[in-house]
Order: sequence, then structure tokens, then C-alpha cells
Amino acid sequence: MAKTFTLLLSTSPYSYENTLTAVKTAESALDKGHTVNLIASGDGVYCFLKKQKAKGITNAEEEFSRLIQKGLKVYL
Amino acid sequence: MGKIAMVLRRAPYGDINAAEAVRHAMGGVADELTVDLILVDSGVLLAKKGQDDTGTGFTNLEGTLKDCIDMGVEVYADKASAREQHLESADIVDGVKLASAAEIAELMQEAKTTMIF
Amino acid sequence: MLVIVKSAPDTTDGKRGIKLARDMAADVVLLQNGIYFAQRERLEGFCGTAYVLDDDVRLRGLKNGEIEKDIKRLDYGSLVDLMAGEDKVMGMF
Repeated sequence: MAKTFTLLLSTSPYSYENTLTAVKTAESALDKGHTVNLIASGDGVYCFLKKQKAKGITNAEEEFSRLIQKGLKVYL
Repeated sequence: MGKIAMVLRRAPYGDINAAEAVRHAMGGVADELTVDLILVDSGVLLAKKGQDDTGTGFTNLEGTLKDCIDMGVEVYADKASAREQHLESADIVDGVKLASAAEIAELMQEAKTTMIF
Repeated sequence: MLVIVKSAPDTTDGKRGIKLARDMAADVVLLQNGIYFAQRERLEGFCGTAYVLDDDVRLRGLKNGEIEKDIKRLDYGSLVDLMAGEDKVMGMF
């Protein structure tokens, strides 16, 4: 049965592993047909800035853009 | 030029401290500074063998730590912390030296500058 | 009920998450630096089911032999299935 997952992301993109955890969990839930909401709070909003250049760590802009195409709903 | 002691207190990957510590250690030796990288508390887990970054997008910090050692960074792991963190000596990256609390205190005293991660 | 713990055993956050799970008789999912709780003898007195995220275990170089036998391994797919099947998910600590 499809359910709704709501993730709260409140940390900046490159200081913690939370970005990767959120991306992987959200993608897995989307692939299984669940609805996924992501609420960006506090420094979490920086995950959605344009022109990020991160390498060697989850690039928040690239990964979340990809997931938005898959149906991820993001609320800032 | 004086020596820099960089102290890592946090386990790798959960936050950016371990990655920043090795990055700055490499920057230091590349600039011909003498760098001691001192691993304490869960920071000793940076020296654990067998880290596998497949599918995570992370830089493998075991590899970066080995690069640091090859470039001349002296890496020390606190003995008591290693024991607390269930880290056995056979499981520690080659070239990392186990140090007692007294030895670490001495390294910190010798250093002109300290950076805490 | 499921409690997710991402913080290492030497942090107050990690300890709080495990204690809360124990007090509520909830199950626990260990990920990020929380995976070190899966090392032998770290979860003594915890009676629920403990799960650990395989990706985060491999990233940190923990070997199979270091992990407590009755802890169950998860990938992200089975984590999502587990969360979808619970009435309540708390965390992450």
C-alpha cells in the first residue's frame, strides 16, 4: 500500500551525512510508489540553491533536482 | 617553522570534520609545514581498515588518510579511545601510531598551533 | 514503533535515542555514525529488534564479525518497507 513519507531536512548540505540519507531514503520510497514530501528547515534550505559545485560528497542540487523530476515534493 | 597539531574528535562520514581534518593536514604538508594528525574519541575510527564508499558518492577517507601518511603527516591514534571504540590494532591503517595520553599531551605541547576538528 | 539513531555511541544524542527506544519497547534502526552501536556488546540490555543500514556499515569498514549476531541488516529498500509498515517512526537521534 502506498504511504506518504515526510522527511525533515534541517542541516546544511555539506556538513553532515543527512543529505545522503535523505536522498537515498527519498529515492527508494519514490521508486516503491510512495508519496515523498521533504520539508527544508533552517540551514536545510541551502540544499536547494542553484550552481552548487560539490565533488567527493553528495551534490545536493544535482541529487534533489533529479528526485524532484521523479516526483519528490519539496517545501522550503 | 612551528608544528601544527590537528585533532580529530569525531567519527568519519557522519559529519564533515574528518574530511576537513585530512584535507587541511594535506594542505599543511604540501606547504612544507610539519603536521601531526591526532585522532581521539570516535575520531580514531577514521583509521579503520576496509572502508568501502561504493554507491555513496563520498571520498574514501581511509584512502585520503593513507595519502596523508605518504605525504609525511604523522598520524597518532589515542590508545584509550581505540579501546573504547572497539578498534583493534590489527584493524588500524598501517603507519598510524598508537599513542598514550601522555604522549598526546606532549605532542600538543610541542605544537605551535592547534586545530580542533 | 521505530526509533532511528544516526549519532555515535559516544554522543548524548545517540545514547538518548537508544534509551528512549528501550523505554518505549520500540525497535531501533542504526544508520550514519549510529551503526557503531551494532558492534558487539554495545546494545546490552536492549530487548527490541535492532536493524543496521548496510551501506553505512560498509562505508565505515565494519566487518561482519564485529557486528552483534542478532542485528538485522537493511538496504535502503528494506528500510523504506520497514518504515512503511510501522505506525510510528521517530528520529533521527
